[in-house]
Amino acid sequence: MSIKLLLAIPLILFFMYVLALPKYRLLGKLFILVFVAILLLFALNPDLSTVIANHFGVGRGADFLFYISHLVLFFIAFRFYLSNRNLEARLNRLVQQLALQDVEQRDGSG
Amino acid sequence: MFDDTYIIVPAYNEGTVIRTTVEELQQSFSNIVVVNDGSSDNTLQILRELGVPVITHLINIGQGAALQTGITHALRMGAAAIVSFDADGQHRVSDVIGMLAELDKHHCDVVLGSRFLGSAEGISLIRRLLLKAAVIFSNITTRIKLTDAHNGLRVMNRRAAACLDITQFGMAHATEIIQQFHDAGMTIREYPVTVRYTDYSRAKGQQSLNAINVLLDLLIGRFFK
Repeated sequence: MSIKLLLAIPLILFFMYVLALPKYRLLGKLFILVFVAILLLFALNPDLSTVIANHFGVGRGADFLFYISHLVLFFIAFRFYLSNRNLEARLNRLVQQLALQDVEQRDGSG
Repeated sequence: MFDDTYIIVPAYNEGTVIRTTVEELQQSFSNIVVVNDGSSDNTLQILRELGVPVITHLINIGQGAALQTGITHALRMGAAAIVSFDADGQHRVSDVIGMLAELDKHHCDVVLGSRFLGSAEGISLIRRLLLKAAVIFSNITTRIKLTDAHNGLRVMNRRAAACLDITQFGMAHATEIIQQFHDAGMTIREYPVTVRYTDYSRAKGQQSLNAINVLLDLLIGRFFK
């Protein structure tokens, strides 16, 4: 099996999986479709990435994609970090509210 | 005495010292509220034996959060003055009384304990340097000139307590508190206190390296609300 198929099959499977998820709205699905289509294009036509890479002063297409994926992953990780912070803050508020409610009920009944 | 003064003691796994700390406080104060921040040791059991009011966080969420919970509660109970007091036995009750008198005498909103105006018994050189660095950082970011930035002993009146909304749940809250007092236009004074560094408080206190985390928390908290 060639590397092209090895890359293309998981991409298509991933897209089908996302299509089946009720969570994503039409716009989200379209965005992912475009994203998968671009990746497929690169997977099936590796020379294309080299052409683009040369435009940015990078010799090899694979290197170019490697750098871009680093940027994207860093961005995603940072987004997760921020959302995690936000989630933690909300959890903490919840714990505080529960604690205060508990005291008030105790005081009320005692 | 001090009927409308509430002492807030945030406690997380302080089973070995909480009895002494609370008993010392009970000799002078009637309103002590311990915020048990999800302790997994016998802290809660000891507090029940002492008959002191306890507010319990179901899980551990940090000292800043515990302080805010205690302060909110004290305000609801009609407190006129609120004191934050560390559970690990590093503060002296006589300092609290002195600070309350200072609050009264100078008609200010906040009195902060300063170990560098007073004395820090048994402090290590590394810790002294780190705390000094924290002071410099805090002074630059908050634009308030203080001699001690991370002292857990604070006395505030009702007005000052009401303007607090601590969102830094970890240790970065010390700087955040000063900032919020300043932003709300509260008048702040420092008071020399003695901080006792025991083997226990040293082991229990912040790891020196944690200073880096605190710094990051503050920076990220500032830029990404």
